[in-house]
Amino acid sequence: MDEQKNIPRVVLVGLASCFGCQINITNVEAHLMEVLGQVDMRYWQLTSSEPMPDAFDVAVVEGAVTTEDAAETLRRVREKARAVITIGACAATAGIPGMAAAAYEGRAAQVYGSAVPAIIDDIACRPRPVSDVIAVDYEVPCCPIDPYDFVRVLQKALYGANPYERTSTLCGECKRNERGCFYGRGIMCLGLVTRQGCGARCPDLGRPCNGCGGVSVDANVEGARRVAQRSGIDPARFDKALEMFNQVPREVQR
Amino acid sequence: MTKTRIQVDHVARIEGHGDIHLEISDGQVQRCEFSVTEAARLFESMVRGRPFDEVPYIASRVCGICSASHTVTDLLAIERIFGVQVSERTRALRQLLVYGSFLQNHSTHLFVFAAPDFLGHKSVFPLAKGDPELFERALGLKALGNELCTMVGGRSIHPITAVVGGFTHEMTSAEYLRMADKLEGMVDFALAAVDLFNGFEVPGFETQGDLLAMVAPDGYPVIGSDTAAFVRSGVRFSAQDIGEFVEEYPVDHSAAFLAVEKEGQRPYFASALARVNASWDQLTEPARFAAAKAGLRPPEFNPFANNVAQAVELVDALTRCAATCRALAGDDFEGTSEPVSFEVCAGVGVGFTEAPRGALFHRLELDANGVVIDASIMTPTSQNIANLEVDMRTLATLLVDEGRSSDEIQLEIEKLVRAYDPCLSCSVH
Repeated sequence: MDEQKNIPRVVLVGLASCFGCQINITNVEAHLMEVLGQVDMRYWQLTSSEPMPDAFDVAVVEGAVTTEDAAETLRRVREKARAVITIGACAATAGIPGMAAAAYEGRAAQVYGSAVPAIIDDIACRPRPVSDVIAVDYEVPCCPIDPYDFVRVLQKALYGANPYERTSTLCGECKRNERGCFYGRGIMCLGLVTRQGCGARCPDLGRPCNGCGGVSVDANVEGARRVAQRSGIDPARFDKALEMFNQVPREVQR
Repeated sequence: MTKTRIQVDHVARIEGHGDIHLEISDGQVQRCEFSVTEAARLFESMVRGRPFDEVPYIASRVCGICSASHTVTDLLAIERIFGVQVSERTRALRQLLVYGSFLQNHSTHLFVFAAPDFLGHKSVFPLAKGDPELFERALGLKALGNELCTMVGGRSIHPITAVVGGFTHEMTSAEYLRMADKLEGMVDFALAAVDLFNGFEVPGFETQGDLLAMVAPDGYPVIGSDTAAFVRSGVRFSAQDIGEFVEEYPVDHSAAFLAVEKEGQRPYFASALARVNASWDQLTEPARFAAAKAGLRPPEFNPFANNVAQAVELVDALTRCAATCRALAGDDFEGTSEPVSFEVCAGVGVGFTEAPRGALFHRLELDANGVVIDASIMTPTSQNIANLEVDMRTLATLLVDEGRSSDEIQLEIEKLVRAYDPCLSCSVH
């Protein structure tokens, strides 16, 4: 805590990502200044040219770990931070960047051909979630995060509330929207196994869940494959779709 | 011998990670590089082997600011391969989606990223304190862009409802009318933004390279055309033939490819400035008047004018989208936006749109099952870096000749980088 003001000092670190989750934080326009009023934003590279400070309380991390530099930054951040919050699927599960983790060697050559820039060759490593490198205290899931979800989790981190989140799957939330089920129409949806929390936003707008919340620990993946098969969907296609946000296996998942 | 070394690790207030390396000895600029250090996520590799319908969803994640552009560009590439003809209504909705991202991108870039430089601040926070009314209205404009994206796409980033053939959801007529009112309500502020940015003092110099933008017989095109034009050389080409007109090449100091116009090996700038130069006559009347008042008319080759061009595009987008919303609320468009049916087939197609930062190309090759064999993404920023480096060198030389201090040179070079509005996570993808 800041000795004089007692205002928690927060830093925001961006790793491999689309920056969308940080942008989404700037999108809570009405709340932005209120939130910033409660915290001392010591470092937010997206919005300021100030250098990263030596002392802070809470670190917010966006993005997957795809370089050794990023891993080193995280270790330094973890030493100083009282609490680490990850935002978004990239940080939580390696997300979309994590798709490159399978058969990672050779992918750079697929993109750059024989002339892979030295700047990439020197620093790149197989994509990993943040929790593979350092301990994470709080997580704001999904791709992108819901900015109000971030405000809620930030409050929890600031005031030390229970870090555990509900782990049930999306199906329950979706049923409450009373939109019917895609499987009844022979359309694959990953809501069967994906962690809840988004209010089933995509199915509510007519699009099946793509699993950005990550597979729930409560999920019955084998049962879901059988449901898919009963609706005429090849279970191999179900597994393929799951790779989008779950390519990197997670040891620990709340 | 005097030697000055300007090194900016991680330029702030741009999207993504990039460094500036500048070496000046005895009044000569020796080394001038913009090094894109953003992590390579290897999108072109990761979509290989994926079914076509996942590709726009995955490519959206290239960038959190222009996600709508990446989504729509991939949809266009896929529809070209399958021969899908979407309804006028779907086209109008896609245009709204892309313009929504113009509003959020331009207002973020102008007020959060660029304005603090000209007002002598390191971040937007002093601006928020010093001129809360301006800041509030800027955020309001950005919020409106987000709202437009959300109303059309389902959320402000990474649209949900835009799929191959149409949309899975549409807002109601009453919501369109409300949206139109809100858009019109912001026009005065956007006009003030043109004046504000036009009032900032910028170095007087011209870019050496060319400018590239989509062109069409009518309208101010952002998604509706397949034709691209180099403004200076006058060369026009179909986006399907992009490989014959633009050459991409890797360099060691950048994780992003660089690009030049192929025949003349000339770098170029794809941008709002390029669009305004290419289609000035087709801006909406209020936008054209604002541009004229600000002295922004073709030919305008000062890269700093990109800031004013973006402000002009805010006026254009607001007035254009308001009219589109009113038309969508009525029965001006035939058909619905419900996804049309299509047959999957093998083929190659290039999607071409104007993203907020400039021309965006996605080339896809699909097999007979609609699975990706090969993909290539060419973003505006990757096309612009070669030209930016030339401009940085020109500007640095100019400032050295004027005897400016290295702190001043650094600030002006950073301002130039920010005027390009680079998106480095886009450029590397």
